[in-house]
Amino acid sequence: MAARVLQQCVRSLARPSLRLCSGNPAVRAAAAPAVAIHRPLSFAADSRRTRWLGQSRVSVVGVLCRQYGDLPPLTLETIKDRVMYVLKLYDKINPEKLQTSSHFMKDLGLDSLDQVEIIMAMEDEFGFEIPDAEAEKLMTPEEIVQYIADKKDVYE
Amino acid sequence: MAISRIPPAALSLKQFLQRQRVLGIYRNMLRTIRQVPDEADRKYLTDWARAEFKRNKDATNQDAIRMMITQANNHLEELQKSLALARS
Repeated sequence: MAARVLQQCVRSLARPSLRLCSGNPAVRAAAAPAVAIHRPLSFAADSRRTRWLGQSRVSVVGVLCRQYGDLPPLTLETIKDRVMYVLKLYDKINPEKLQTSSHFMKDLGLDSLDQVEIIMAMEDEFGFEIPDAEAEKLMTPEEIVQYIADKKDVYE
Repeated sequence: MAISRIPPAALSLKQFLQRQRVLGIYRNMLRTIRQVPDEADRKYLTDWARAEFKRNKDATNQDAIRMMITQANNHLEELQKSLALARS
């Protein structure tokens, strides 16, 4: 969040190619620890996603404008879409019957082994591990979305 | 007369713990298989693990289940050792 604001400041500073040198070191120093604290995972996980910062122009004057790599921000909508997409790809689930409130065991007829597989697929999709104790409680897509939103600090 | 509030299909504590252990082993197995480098091997191993666990899903004898858990642990350790060797 703060990293994005700072980086927009840096980009807006980068456009007029004159008064750059004084602004940049302070901005860079302030933004670097923020990036390090907020997103330690993003550098390791999912490097196949496009870095949405990599596309911006670097100014002609050769100022070292640091491009912070980060994934696009998660929203409840995107989390829900990705969860439902992964569930639709799972061969034991009937896509027509699938809704966010459908219970894996009661409505979709899956068993606990299938539920373990589903949670593992979610771990793969979102790139972080879900511990056993909490994984066994996630029984509907809605709960999974809520859990991921809690873990990733997504508010809306 | 005291009416038991526990439904008849509920597991006893030991069975419940065993069930948790089995699910934990399944999860560890899947996580270890994820680290296998080759894609086709990974698919083969996940299908094998899935088939093994599902085949014995309905076993009720506690001792038999305990034996199967030990077997699964052995397989898991073997897999982890092979992976460690392959990586070094």
